[in-house]
Amino acid sequence: MALLEVENLQTHFATLDGVVRAVEGLSFKIDAGETVAIVGESGCGKSVTSMSILRLIQEPPGKIAGKINFRGRNLLDLPDVEMRKIRGKDISMIFQEPMTSLNPVLTVGRQIGETVRLHEGLTAQEAEKRGIEMLGLVGIPAPERRVKEYPHQLSGGMRQRVMIAMALACNPKLLIADEPTTALDVTIQAQILDLMRDLKTRVGAAIMLITHDLGVVAEMAERVVVMYAGRKVEEATAVQIFGNPQHPYTRGLLGAVPKLGSSLQGHGRTKLTEIQGQVPSLRQRIVGCAFASRCPIVTDVCRQVAPAVEAKTPGHYVACHYAERAVAA
Amino acid sequence: MFAYAIRRILATIPVMAIVALFVFSLLYLAPGDPAAIIAGDQATPADVDRIRISLGLDRPFLIRFGEWAWQVLNGDLGVSIFTNLPVTHMISQRIEPTLSLMSLTLIFSISFAIPMGVLAAWKQGAWIDRVVMVVAVLGFSVPVFVVGYILAYAFALQLDWFPVQGYTPISVGILPWFQNLALPSLALGLAFIALLARITRATMLEVLSQDYVRTAKAKGVDQRAILFVHALKNAAVPIVTIIGIGFAGLIGGAVVTESVFAIPGVGRLVVDAILRRDYPVIQGVVLMFSFVYVLVNLAVDLLYTLFDPRIRY
Repeated sequence: MALLEVENLQTHFATLDGVVRAVEGLSFKIDAGETVAIVGESGCGKSVTSMSILRLIQEPPGKIAGKINFRGRNLLDLPDVEMRKIRGKDISMIFQEPMTSLNPVLTVGRQIGETVRLHEGLTAQEAEKRGIEMLGLVGIPAPERRVKEYPHQLSGGMRQRVMIAMALACNPKLLIADEPTTALDVTIQAQILDLMRDLKTRVGAAIMLITHDLGVVAEMAERVVVMYAGRKVEEATAVQIFGNPQHPYTRGLLGAVPKLGSSLQGHGRTKLTEIQGQVPSLRQRIVGCAFASRCPIVTDVCRQVAPAVEAKTPGHYVACHYAERAVAA
Repeated sequence: MFAYAIRRILATIPVMAIVALFVFSLLYLAPGDPAAIIAGDQATPADVDRIRISLGLDRPFLIRFGEWAWQVLNGDLGVSIFTNLPVTHMISQRIEPTLSLMSLTLIFSISFAIPMGVLAAWKQGAWIDRVVMVVAVLGFSVPVFVVGYILAYAFALQLDWFPVQGYTPISVGILPWFQNLALPSLALGLAFIALLARITRATMLEVLSQDYVRTAKAKGVDQRAILFVHALKNAAVPIVTIIGIGFAGLIGGAVVTESVFAIPGVGRLVVDAILRRDYPVIQGVVLMFSFVYVLVNLAVDLLYTLFDPRIRY
């Protein structure tokens, strides 16, 4: 049984100008200990998906439907009290903005300690000890001193380390990392990714990595889910995605990434491609394929019939009428 | 922190000096010859001259101010023209009811208004939020003497739960003291409650939309701790500021409230002194209230650093 099974997830928001369908029928699985990347451009529903799993969406105006089975229990059916026991313990989360995600008026030790006090019933002293331990684990120097400091006394990279320490303090089964490195500069990004990989093997958590950075995906992920307009358009192993992308959107994304050694002049020059057009409005129901309006190989079928997500080869799922079906050997 | 506290305390000295200068000028800014005013309508020119000399009014203003300030620093606020008693003595006789009224009002206001505002922010748009907002608008728009009479009529005359007026010293017993002060405190505090609840709600709404509140939720923190630990501490600075500023209104309101409920406090003393043009008493009371106000705002400034570690001076 998979650790997390998301089935036909739909997260909608009621707004004054109609319902926004941020996530529309998304399904995917994460196995224990696995790293799965959710990839897509801004507004494709990546973050809403992660917030839906922890039920952090304000309801109303939000509404979550479908199934989110975590270790066999549907999180959407749990009463609030049960859900609170899962948050921060079995499933924890790291957010994109380390500068604003920590409470400015509480010490970092208090904020890390709060998690273990809540979920493991530790006393204040024990919690502080754990806080120091965790800060050391995420590579913050002089943790005994730092534990008493406030977030504004730490740099962005340090704050993200604190967030990671907080998220891992209770040894979660699943760590949701929502663009954990986007707000950091490149050298710090690499350090944080290394840290996450290292801690993952130590703690044994599965990681759901939300990102739009394909470099991060290549570095971290075992499997990749590509999202577009609230839907899954392709899912495969990282090797398959980078080596043999099937969906025109995935190809478009990969074509927009510069490659090392490519040059703008002379021989062997490569051109970065862009995906023409705009993401369709999520306020209207989309008929046919969601990517039809921007697809280079669009046909009439695409505009009328939404393609189902199908396995093209074992483990490689694509939602496109024109994906190459591998020849069954 | 300690150095800051010292500096902040020292900074109150020039403020108090300016207040003292203003209070002292009060007597001389009033139209007419103070000596003539003090002497009254039936005085002969000789009487006026005698008073002028006895008050030292024939000497330069700054010298007189210096002498007066020195006296004040030594705890001597002068002698009442009307009763011939030392002003410090008159104030100390009347201070307990006023301090009791103001403390109880502050306690009432803070313990009603902050939970009200927090609740309204949490349940934004729900019926409870609307009730709180309606109470806030009402509380703010009805003057204290109207509220006072309504409360006295309903809870003292009709229901007979509280005495209609008067004051019982705390030395007689906490309960009678409280019973006498409950209605006046409520009347005086209503506008303050309204203001404070609104500010709390607005600040909390802003804080609750911050990323760190989402982080706390993602950690599994329960709603009560999110509201009262994670959010309220961040909202504390504006709230405490309003408490400090609102305190001035409370001083003015105390004067009216003491009249409505016949409480023999400093407010009544100053009203009587104004009616009798008893300038030394007016000066003493104004000086004392200013001092209390400066102290309260000093406390507010010191509290900032307690609530928000980012504030350093």
